[in-house]
Amino acid sequence: MSLEEIRKKIDSLDSQILLLLKIRMEQVLIAKKFKTEIEDNMREKEVFDKIRENANGLIDAGFLEKIYKEIIRESKRIQQNDFELIAFQGEHGAYGEKASREWDRDLVSFPCSTFVDVFEGVKSGLYEYGIVPVENTLGGSVAQVNQLLIDTDFHVVGAVELPVHHCLLALPGTDHREIRSVYSHPQALSQCRQFLKRNKLEPVKYSDTAGAAKMLTEKRLKRTAVIASRLCARLYNLEIIKENVEDLDKNMTRFLVLSRSEDKEDGDKCSIVFTTEHKAGALFSVLQAFAKKNINLTRIESIPNEPGNYAFFLDFEGSNKNDNVVEALKAVKMITTSFRLMGCYKERRVQ
Amino acid sequence: MNALRLTSLNDDRPERTVIKVGNVKVGEDFAVIAGPCSVESEEQTVQTAHKVKAAGANMFRGGAFKPRTSPYDFQGLGLQGLKILEKAKQETGLPIVTEVTDPRDVSWVSEYADVLQIGTRNMQNYSLLKEVGKLGKPVLLKRGMNSTLKEWLNCAEYILAGGNPNVILCERGIRTFETYTRNTLDLSIVPSVKELSHLPIVVDPSHGTGRLSLIEPMSLAAMAAGADGIMVEVHYHPNEAVCDKDQAMPPHMFGDLMKKLQVLGSCMNGMN
Repeated sequence: MSLEEIRKKIDSLDSQILLLLKIRMEQVLIAKKFKTEIEDNMREKEVFDKIRENANGLIDAGFLEKIYKEIIRESKRIQQNDFELIAFQGEHGAYGEKASREWDRDLVSFPCSTFVDVFEGVKSGLYEYGIVPVENTLGGSVAQVNQLLIDTDFHVVGAVELPVHHCLLALPGTDHREIRSVYSHPQALSQCRQFLKRNKLEPVKYSDTAGAAKMLTEKRLKRTAVIASRLCARLYNLEIIKENVEDLDKNMTRFLVLSRSEDKEDGDKCSIVFTTEHKAGALFSVLQAFAKKNINLTRIESIPNEPGNYAFFLDFEGSNKNDNVVEALKAVKMITTSFRLMGCYKERRVQ
Repeated sequence: MNALRLTSLNDDRPERTVIKVGNVKVGEDFAVIAGPCSVESEEQTVQTAHKVKAAGANMFRGGAFKPRTSPYDFQGLGLQGLKILEKAKQETGLPIVTEVTDPRDVSWVSEYADVLQIGTRNMQNYSLLKEVGKLGKPVLLKRGMNSTLKEWLNCAEYILAGGNPNVILCERGIRTFETYTRNTLDLSIVPSVKELSHLPIVVDPSHGTGRLSLIEPMSLAAMAAGADGIMVEVHYHPNEAVCDKDQAMPPHMFGDLMKKLQVLGSCMNGMN
């Protein structure tokens, strides 16, 4: 073992400590939603007792107390601020987090393990917003999210079209020629299939892209790399071996931003969801209503709802304050069996 | 030359090979590959790329893996160097020509490079030749400093036989008893290659002479001899060059050379 190797290990541990601190502070923010007052002396005593118990050997109790005093002071400061939370699916560094930052940098992005957790958290008020992917250029519609969208009464308050650029990441100091296996989400692996084949790398499926990066830095697997976002390189102290390893450079994912309350600002795009009667021309007449008012449709998606029945998602350009949109929607309401304007919002296209 | 089934110019293969690299058709257009001997830093590489592009170069060279005479000399930045070359390409749009020295690096170098260079010392590294033969990417095969034309064309044959038809030959000077120049630039090889093979050939007067003052006249001579292009070492600050500083051309001299090449080029077009 050399000094250089030891330092690399220390850098990796530091990145894990930083990430754990960040996650701790996030839990502090969530805890606030359950507390009436920020000060809680009983709880503080509990925390200090626990850390004192854990002090041993090199780690002195006084030293730990000093650190934790600072952590608790900062936790209180964070609780006093009115941060707004936006939930995304995946670990920190996931593409959902990148999209959330593109939408609004001031929001605190919050990781959830599943899409259901995102939806339930927004519903129960844990998070002010949720950001979920609805479609991808290469992967198509994200069925699970669309299914969840049918049954909510959330408002769509924004959309982000994010170009997805994958990076090949490895532990610092890895000789790129020795990499054999590459972990990532199956979707990401399939988007980089040619690259992996050209370099004789074996794809290994993992639950999510950022999760794979986190796993690599924790387990320090040899001859292994992951495919994840650029952001993950910094978060998990990994080295970028190669950027833009996707086979097609026009890979986009579209995210919707959801909230319990409606967007007050004027938008330029609308999303609706509706069902129609089971008869000839039912869907056609809905589309016709938009065509007559010269409204450009940007997405249409059908999702099986009940056996034999479909819910339709439709996105179009324009504001619900425009006369032609108002009239078209009025006409559509008349000819659909259920109808909901999910929101009128601004769409952000990231370059 | 029976062994040169794929490399020979003959009745089975009467037309000359044209290789598209970015917007350049090597074998049809005059290729000017310019840039530093080694990638030393992002600034040095990107700045030099901008300067050679402004002067009229249509490809950019730079070494990330350097086979050096002494093991104590600068060995190149490796993968880091490749990333810097990618940056230079993003900024200037110039295709990248860079050397590969190790068969294990071939797939990685081709992730970044538009043309893979096989250096003079590796001309007969058959495992390396077989590896680049599996690619679809163009390969610039330099002539071994002690190699005959036949040996050289046999090495090209290895790459073609492997399934990669995109080989550009590069004359870079050979060993003779002369010591004034670093090597003796063998320009007679240019029309000789044209007689025997359909492959395009470019000339490297920087290594061929090792003397700054000789690069311009030998570049012009290469064009006059019918070469399909030149490969010139240009450094934005030649005095700071980490390797081969005596033959590194400053950008202004390269600009002058480009102007003369243009005049000579149009003059030669008039003769044909």
